[in-house]
Amino acid sequence: MSSARLTRILRSASFRLTLFYAVLFVASAGVLFATVYITATAAMQSDMAAVLRSEAYQLAEIHQRLGLPGLAEQIARRMNFRTRGPIFYLLQAPNRRVVVGNLPGMPPVDGVVDFVPQRETQEPDLQPTMLTGFGLTLPDGSFLLVAQDANRLTDMQHAIISAFVWAGGVTLVLAIGGGLLIGSNFLRRIDTITRTSRAIMGGDLSARIPVVGTHDEIDQLVSSLNAMLERIQQLMDGLRQVSSDIAHDLRTPLGRLRQHLEDARERAKSTADYDAATDAAIVEADALLETFAALLRIAQVEAGAQKRGFADVDLSELVRSVAEVYQPAAEDSDHRLSYKVEDGIHLQGDRPLLAQMISNLVENALHHTQAGAQVALSLRKAGGGFAIEVADNGPGIPEAERAKVFDRFYRLDRSRSTAGSGLGLALVKAIAGLHGLSIRLEDRNPGLGVIVTA
Amino acid sequence: MLATTENARDDRAVKILLIEDDKQTADYIGKGLREHGHVVDRADNGRDGLYLATGEQYDVMIVDRMLPSMDGLSLVKAARASNVRTPVLFLTTMGGVDDRVTGLEAGGDDYLVKPFAFAELLARVSALARRPPMVPVTSLAVADLDMDLLKRTVTRGGKRIELLAQEFKILEFLLRHAGQVVTRTMLLEKVWDFHFDPKTNIVETHMSRLRAKIDKGFDKPLLHTVRGAGYVIRAE
Repeated sequence: MSSARLTRILRSASFRLTLFYAVLFVASAGVLFATVYITATAAMQSDMAAVLRSEAYQLAEIHQRLGLPGLAEQIARRMNFRTRGPIFYLLQAPNRRVVVGNLPGMPPVDGVVDFVPQRETQEPDLQPTMLTGFGLTLPDGSFLLVAQDANRLTDMQHAIISAFVWAGGVTLVLAIGGGLLIGSNFLRRIDTITRTSRAIMGGDLSARIPVVGTHDEIDQLVSSLNAMLERIQQLMDGLRQVSSDIAHDLRTPLGRLRQHLEDARERAKSTADYDAATDAAIVEADALLETFAALLRIAQVEAGAQKRGFADVDLSELVRSVAEVYQPAAEDSDHRLSYKVEDGIHLQGDRPLLAQMISNLVENALHHTQAGAQVALSLRKAGGGFAIEVADNGPGIPEAERAKVFDRFYRLDRSRSTAGSGLGLALVKAIAGLHGLSIRLEDRNPGLGVIVTA
Repeated sequence: MLATTENARDDRAVKILLIEDDKQTADYIGKGLREHGHVVDRADNGRDGLYLATGEQYDVMIVDRMLPSMDGLSLVKAARASNVRTPVLFLTTMGGVDDRVTGLEAGGDDYLVKPFAFAELLARVSALARRPPMVPVTSLAVADLDMDLLKRTVTRGGKRIELLAQEFKILEFLLRHAGQVVTRTMLLEKVWDFHFDPKTNIVETHMSRLRAKIDKGFDKPLLHTVRGAGYVIRAE
C-alpha cells in the first residue's frame, strides 16, 4: 500500500467514521474499567476488613474465656495451621512485650490498618509486603493484631488493568485495521465511479459504472446513476440526431434560396424575371421559417409549457369542423374524405394544438395516398375515453418503420421527394403526449389507420 | 403592387403607436405604414411607450413582446389599468400557443409572429383600427348580398344561396370586415382557430367554392382576391 493511497484511506469518510467509533469504544471501555476497578477494590477491601474483624473478635472472645495464656496458645495454633486468610498475628502484653506472633511489635492501633512490617529478624530474604490488619486493644490492656497479605488486592487490581489493556489494545488494532479495510474497499468503489464519470466527461457516453451485486446503498446509487446516464445518452443521441437532421434538412432549402437569389442577380433580364426569382426565394424562406416554427413548437409542447392554456374542448365539434375544413381541398386533389363523429365528447386541452394534431393526421393521409384514395376520419367513445381515427386505403407504412415515423425529420424513402418538413407526426406525438393521449398505427390492408386514444 | 393600391384606397388615416426596440424592424414597419397614409409614432422602449400610450390618443398600438426597460406584456397591462382602450397588436418571435394566450390575457387584441409579410401586418392593423362596435347584429349585408344571422340564411338579389357550415362562417367573417383586406392567416385563426400553417390549400379551396356560390351568375363580383395579401368583400 503506497503512502499516498494510505493517506487517502486515512482521509476517507468510512475510515474516519471507524476511527471515531474506535475512540468512542475505548472511552466507554475506560469508564467501564474505572467502575470495575473502583468497585472491585472497594468490595475486596471491605471483605478483607470483615474477615479480619471477625477473626479479631473471635480471638477477643477466647481471651475473655481463657485469659492471655489461652489466647496465646490459640494464636500459636492458628499461626501453625493457617495457610489462607489472616496468617499474621501479633499479641502484645500491656507493657508492649510480644507474647506471641509472627509480626514485630508495634504501637497499638484500633481498627483497620495498612502497614509494612519491619522484619529485622525474620526471613530477611522476603520482600517487605504490604499488610492489612485489624487491631484491637483487649480489656486487660494487651493488644491484638490480625493481619493479612494485601497482595491479593493488588494482584486483583493488576489483573483488571492488564485485562483491560489487552482487550482495549486488541479492539483498537481491530478497529483501525477494519477501518483501513472498509475505507479502502469503499474508496475502490468510489474510484470506479470517479473513473467512469471522467470517461463520460471525456466523451464516452456509453460508459457505465459496474454494479457489484451486493444490493447495498452504493449499488443502489450506482444503479440510479446508470439509469440517469442512460437517459442522458438517449437525450444526447436525440439531440445529435436532430442537429444533424436540421443541418441536412435546412441546408437543402437554404441552398435553393441562395440559387434563386443568384439567378435573380445573374440571369434576370426583366422585372418579371426578378419577380419570379424573388417569389421563389420567398417561398424557400417561408418553408425554412415554417420548419423552425415547427421545431420550436415541438420543443415547447414537449416542455409542457402549454398546459396553462388548457380548457374544456368540444372534441366532437372540433373533429367535425376539421373534416369539413379539409373536405373541399381533399375533393380538389381527387380524394374522398368522409367523417363519422359521436356527439358529446369533451376533454381538457388546448384547442388550437388539438386542431393542429387532427389536421396534421388528415393532411398526412391526404399527402401520402394517391388520387382516388379514401380517407376516413372518425371520433367514437372507446373504453372509458375516446378514439380518434384517421384511416386511409393508401400504401400504408411497413411494420419496421412504424415506430420511427413519429421521429423528427423522419421520412419514408418514398416520401423523400414530396414536399413536407418531416415534422408533422413528431408534432402530433408531442401534442398527444401533452394531453396524455396515446397513438398507435394499424394495418388496414390495404392502408393505414392512425388511432389516438384516451 | 396591387395590394398597395387596394389598401391605400380603402383606408382612412389611422394613428398608430409603434413600440419596437429593433431599429430595422421599426423602420420597416413605420415606413410601410406611412406609405399607406397612416400616422406613426414610435418608441423604442417600454417606459417611453407607456408614456405615449397613456398620454396620447391612438387608434392602434403595435407592441413588441420583448422590450427594454419594460416588457410588452407589462406595458399593455399597465395601459389597460389606466383605462387605455386602444386596440393592441402584439408582435412576438416565439409563436407558441402559450404566447398567444398570455398576450390576450394581458389585454392584447391580436398577435403576429415575426417574421411576417407586411401585407399581413397592414391587414391586421386596419381590422383593429376599424373594429366594429360590440353591439349584437342580426344581419350583415354588402350590396345586394344579405346574411341573416338568426335564420342562418344568405340571399343575393333576393335569391337564396345554400352554403355549407364552413362557407357560412367564412362569409360571415368577410362581411363583418367588409371593405377590409382579410388575409389567409386571419381566416385560419379567426374562423377556424387554426394557429398553424396548413400544407393544404384549405382557404383557397373554400374561397373558390364560396365565390362560385355568391358571384357566379351575377354581373358584379363581390369577393375579390388581393394579390399578395388576401381577400376582400366589397360592393364595387
